[in-house]
Amino acid sequence: MLRVEDLHVHYGGIHALKGIELAVGEGQIVALIGANGAGKSTTLNTISGLVRASGGRVEFLGKDITNAPSHEIVRMGLCQVPEGRKIFPEMTVIENLLMGAYIRNDSEEIKADRDLVFDLFPRLKERQHQVASTLSGGEQQMLAIGRGLMSRPKLLLLDEPSMGLAPLLVKEIFNIVKAINQQGTTILLVEQNANMALSIADYGYVLETGRTVLHGPAQELAANEEVKAAYLGG
Amino acid sequence: MSRVVALVLLCLVVALFALLRKYRAVVVSNTAFKYSYYPASALLVILAVNFLLVALGADRLFFVQQAVYGLSLGSVYALIALGYTMVYGVIKLINFAHGDIYMVGAYAGYYAVTALNLSFVPALVVAMAVSAVTGVLVERIAYKPLRDSPRITLLITAIGMSLLLENLGQKVFTSTPRTYPSMFTGSYNVFGVSVDLSRIIVFVVTILLMLALQYFVTYTKPGRAMRAVSQDRDAARLMGIDIDRVIAATFAVGSALAGAAGVLVGIVFPQIRPTMGVMPGLKAFVAAVIGGIGIIPGAMLGGMIIGVSENLVTAYISSSWRDAIAFGFLILILLAKPTGILGKHTREKV
Amino acid sequence: MRRHPNQLRGSAIWIAVGAVALVVVNILVATGSLDSYYTSVLGVVGINIILTTSLNLINGITGQLSIGHAGFMAVGAYTAGILSMHFQTPLVVNILAAFAAAAIVGVLIGLPTLRLRGDYLAIATLGFGEIIRVVIQNLKITGGAFGLIGIEWIDNFFYIEIVAIVSVIIIWRIVNSAPGRALVAIREDEIAAETMGINTTAYKVMAFAIGSAFAGVAGALFAHRMAFISPSDFTFLKSIDVLVMVVLGGLGSLTGAIISAVSLSLLPEFLRVIDEWRMVIYPLLLVVVMLFRPQGLLGTKEVHFGAISAALQRLKSLFVKGEEHLEPASDLPAIATREADGVNTDEPILEVRGLSIYFGGLKAVSDLNMTLQRGALHGLIGPNGAGKTTVFNMITGLHPPSEGEILFEGKRIDGKPPHAVTAAGIARTFQNIRLFKDLTVLDNVKTAFHLSTGYGVGSALAYTPSYVAKERWIDSEARRLLEILNLQDRSMELARNLPYGEQRRLEIARALATRPSLLLLDEPAAGMNPQETADLMDLIRRIRDEFDLTILLIEHDMSLVMQLCERITVLDYGMTIFEGTPDEVKRNPRVIEAYLGEEAG
Repeated sequence: MLRVEDLHVHYGGIHALKGIELAVGEGQIVALIGANGAGKSTTLNTISGLVRASGGRVEFLGKDITNAPSHEIVRMGLCQVPEGRKIFPEMTVIENLLMGAYIRNDSEEIKADRDLVFDLFPRLKERQHQVASTLSGGEQQMLAIGRGLMSRPKLLLLDEPSMGLAPLLVKEIFNIVKAINQQGTTILLVEQNANMALSIADYGYVLETGRTVLHGPAQELAANEEVKAAYLGG
Repeated sequence: MSRVVALVLLCLVVALFALLRKYRAVVVSNTAFKYSYYPASALLVILAVNFLLVALGADRLFFVQQAVYGLSLGSVYALIALGYTMVYGVIKLINFAHGDIYMVGAYAGYYAVTALNLSFVPALVVAMAVSAVTGVLVERIAYKPLRDSPRITLLITAIGMSLLLENLGQKVFTSTPRTYPSMFTGSYNVFGVSVDLSRIIVFVVTILLMLALQYFVTYTKPGRAMRAVSQDRDAARLMGIDIDRVIAATFAVGSALAGAAGVLVGIVFPQIRPTMGVMPGLKAFVAAVIGGIGIIPGAMLGGMIIGVSENLVTAYISSSWRDAIAFGFLILILLAKPTGILGKHTREKV
Repeated sequence: MRRHPNQLRGSAIWIAVGAVALVVVNILVATGSLDSYYTSVLGVVGINIILTTSLNLINGITGQLSIGHAGFMAVGAYTAGILSMHFQTPLVVNILAAFAAAAIVGVLIGLPTLRLRGDYLAIATLGFGEIIRVVIQNLKITGGAFGLIGIEWIDNFFYIEIVAIVSVIIIWRIVNSAPGRALVAIREDEIAAETMGINTTAYKVMAFAIGSAFAGVAGALFAHRMAFISPSDFTFLKSIDVLVMVVLGGLGSLTGAIISAVSLSLLPEFLRVIDEWRMVIYPLLLVVVMLFRPQGLLGTKEVHFGAISAALQRLKSLFVKGEEHLEPASDLPAIATREADGVNTDEPILEVRGLSIYFGGLKAVSDLNMTLQRGALHGLIGPNGAGKTTVFNMITGLHPPSEGEILFEGKRIDGKPPHAVTAAGIARTFQNIRLFKDLTVLDNVKTAFHLSTGYGVGSALAYTPSYVAKERWIDSEARRLLEILNLQDRSMELARNLPYGEQRRLEIARALATRPSLLLLDEPAAGMNPQETADLMDLIRRIRDEFDLTILLIEHDMSLVMQLCERITVLDYGMTIFEGTPDEVKRNPRVIEAYLGEEAG
């Protein structure tokens, strides 16, 4: 479904991505793990068109989307839930969800999807008229994911959904991610919490200083000694 | 009017104002009156002072007269300030050429009335359309190619575009001032204060435009996209929003409002000239900063404050100090609350 | 100092062209070959050079966007005008008085406004500029709106030329000294500058005052050249004119400023041919130039400027043989530990008690307690967002804590500004690397020697022996630090062009240059590969011993943390969930649940 080949990115003089390779198959959860600064977020941002690639190729549903404008990529069914949530702070919960459905015009179905999101995150329903900046960290993360779902993506990119959340909340979020996947959305997940990520993923990639250094089925990776030593605290 | 009645009315107005303040959150966030809140408050404050003066047995006519004049001037500042604040919201640029767009609007309205024999409303629409087109052109030519450049570069091109419009204006319209034909004569007597019809029109049209803008920004898709872009540009892109189109739309709307201000100023202060945009432009920008730049209701608030206080300073002190008022306010507010009255405190990520 | 020979030759050509032009102009004026109109135009050029270089000190070098320069020019012009008319004082006195008056007004305005940043600062300076004008317009002594008529008329090109040259040299000397490095550091990254021990507020006000003072000088020359001044000479548009010259020349480039002042002052004379359309062509040119040269007419920031000083150095070395060897002057102490004057080495170096901070109602860190013994290597770990960096920010004074106290060497440091914390002996690196990106590697480190500079602007101007010795010492010590961190081959590279690993090492070098006794490292291994990480571990141990440091570090790389640290504090959700030795941490069930995760297999 998504194929990334030999992806390179330069920031100023820094060579941030040095040939990333990865593939995501339909229906999968794929985890991208690695240390801070390894290039995980940059990889997602380049796929979704926020960052320009200086070389390589990104292919989504058989089409070349390398360096295509973000808004066109979203329309093809690829939606990113960015790191740090990036919800619209001055808008209400409902307005944020509506922004997620920006590319759609079917107002009846948008309403239906909104109710689906509320089913998934009952807490958002309670706070639907609240301004987003007044939500707690966990609720903001839920809103960010809910907003991402509103575009009805075929592939959802999740960037560090566990960041800054209490352990209990992290579990809740991951359960929901799994549920979303079971409802048919393919997921590419960037996580610093490698354990958690590999526990729900089908396949995993390990990034190190801008390169894919290791990949394999999630369970194998989780059992790999190197990975355990570096990322799982083993 | 007896003093007792005045006292009662004063209490009434104060109560009304308190009520408005109390439900400010509701008014500002949910109803269609969000952007009209500040003009309405300004009116109430003036009324309150009016009744207070009557109750004290002091001369109120002069004050109220000046304050009401201030409201119409404030409306013009507010309309221009909106464009500054909206553009700043989406691309963080002080669009120095905005004051000159207001000038273009004034001339477009002038020619619509004199050459095309249009009446007020069609002329207003023509002026808004011409300004919108000019604003979008300025953005496409001078700002869009520089979207990733240092902001100071953009500031200089904005200054360049401002000078260009001004000097082109000198060439095309000549430096001789033109005079708007008087469209609204007559005045009304409200509680002994005579209010010109033209000033009422200015105030009412401003309120109507505010309501329209409020509707546009809150309930329409392009309006929401505009707010999204100003709150978080990258997140907006990830929603599938085409940033370039939203920015162009913002310039169009902001410039149209400035164009409207140009016509409105023409019916109250009929003399227009190519350099007319410089000072009002600057002060409107100051108004936007006072209210909190990037915040739409803030522009209304700032515009009203500057408009009313300028008129009062002219009336009670001297017109030669008038220009210092806007900037004095600016400094005071920036030092007390650097992000403006309605601005939010932001913290730099370390 | 090694530079590309081409660059050197290029700047030598520029200097030669400038010198020849100056000589030719002087001969022409002296022999009377130019008529008075053109000499007068040359006077304008001189005044504009002073205005542009002085505004460049504020906008370009220090990076503080000011657009009210005309106001200070007005202060100078009116000071000179009033003195000349009422006291018939000579030109020199008037210039000095204008300098002083504008400097004072600059300090008065700078102190409150320089807290503002970016566009807010710009609009505040614009506001003050306008207020100065309105005040002048309303005072009796300034002649109100009509202005002053009958100031002694001195339109002598040579006077203006001398004053302009002196002004430029003074500004050039300031920029090229340690205080100048501090100013550039502020432009590059104000927060990093603060943590290098630079009192950014004081330095910004200083730059603002000096820039304003020279605008005052330009104003004085202007007043005497015109013999008649009025408030309308000093409007907002005048400020904009100067700003345009600065940006067009290239922000931060003094030569750029001069060249653009010369060309933009002469441009209207050339455009005279198309007189009628002149006012339309000028802004059009401006826009077109900016569209095609967004960095300014003369390109990158420091190239010309740096090259000139290099060329001058080289010129000097032709005459003064053997002076180029840089030896650390023996009478100055090399970097080592600061003298332990009366510090009890048994007491903890850092003690944190009940530390909490709220961000908009949210408690980001709550009730943190931590004690660091002298010489310790202590780790701070926890999931992203747990509040680790916030702890660093509180210790270094960037975020004043809402509750609790921080004791460093037994003294309270909470609530102190970052530069004072650095001066007390705490240095840090940043998670999102905050180098001075457009400075060279060497200059990054030199800037961090700010606290041990020990000379003022005065000795830099006078080029005193103590200044020369100190600069040489800083240079050699900076190079020594680069060698320790294995960056000596990169010293002339721009910091932005280094790979992550080297950038992180450079941040450490820079932190060491502030001569700390406690070093805070925020994710030093992020973005490094395993080999680099292993080297880093050795390096951290080495610098701890060599510089007698205590080190507190945040890191996600568990192999590094577990091997390196003697004790570890685990944060989660703003709270300490455990503190102990690496082995204890590894075994603790709460830590495993929150952060390390259950061991698979």
